[in-house]
Amino acid sequence: MQEHQTIKQMQMKKKSIIRYVMLLLLVLAAALAFYMYKEFNRKPKNLSAATADFTLQEQQLLNEFAADEKTATAKYSGKVIAVTGTVKAVETDDTGNSTVILGNSSSMSSIRCSADSLETQAVAALKPNSSITIKGICTGYNTDELGLGADIILNRCVLVKQ
Amino acid sequence: MKTILIVICATLLATITNAQDKYFTKSGKIYFDATSPKSPENVNAITKTAVCVLDTKTGNLQFSLLMKSFEFERALMQEHFNENYVESNKFPKAEFKGTITNNSNVNYAKDGVYNVKVSGNLTMHGETKTVETSGTVTVKNGKLIAVAEFAVTLADYKITVPQLVADKVAKTATIKVDCTLDVLK
Repeated sequence: MQEHQTIKQMQMKKKSIIRYVMLLLLVLAAALAFYMYKEFNRKPKNLSAATADFTLQEQQLLNEFAADEKTATAKYSGKVIAVTGTVKAVETDDTGNSTVILGNSSSMSSIRCSADSLETQAVAALKPNSSITIKGICTGYNTDELGLGADIILNRCVLVKQ
Repeated sequence: MKTILIVICATLLATITNAQDKYFTKSGKIYFDATSPKSPENVNAITKTAVCVLDTKTGNLQFSLLMKSFEFERALMQEHFNENYVESNKFPKAEFKGTITNNSNVNYAKDGVYNVKVSGNLTMHGETKTVETSGTVTVKNGKLIAVAEFAVTLADYKITVPQLVADKVAKTATIKVDCTLDVLK
């Protein structure tokens, strides 16, 4: 009789352990599903909130790319860069996409900052020759093979308030 | 002295006339869409920083774009595109070098919409293939609007689509070009 009781107790214990394990697995599965859902729907980084991987002056960036395109591309492309420089011009196309061009007006080379669509108004108000800091994702370097000057491209740029 | 002056003037004049034949943009738009017909989500992206140069005299046409400048709606898709599909760290650029084969049909001095045929070589992911397509050049207020659409087979460029996402990513991608070119001064 006594023996019978302990076996029963043990069986019950086993059952509750299995129950706990099941529950734990369920929670884990739910967490995984939630993570996958979040990851799947993740939007590209909001640049106004992102911290810059590199903060530098326009000339420094231009020099690095001009000196060694490969190394500079490997170092900077895909990274968030905050660059301070002089506005050469602001271009806006017929669909409202604005590009801020940073650089020395005597040089053909420049940093072309394609502005985030939310920044269009702020960017349109920029005056040539003013000094600004702008933050964007570097997508690479266009060499001067077409005779139009070499350019560093920054994408989805936002102005950094000073 | 006179001859030198004449030579200088002639070269200057030549470069000026030359320059007016060329049109360019550094903010051209190129879309691609590789959504498979049965896919529940769109696999598409746009770049707004393509470089395009057109020589109206010869019909020579060049495009160049940075693969990392393609913007996707989903960050994960963009990362996969760059890391696994086009390997943009290894092959950062895509380039097209070609000509408008019926260039004489376009009157660049007169506003209007002209049908053009383009053929040339498209280089991406380290592979070069011939591309032929038709499109339009619109001459309007001294600007040129170049529009074209064509399909590329991903396998031609050694871009492999894993079996897992084969029902989402099509085997051919549609490329749309929409560039507004200004005269090169």
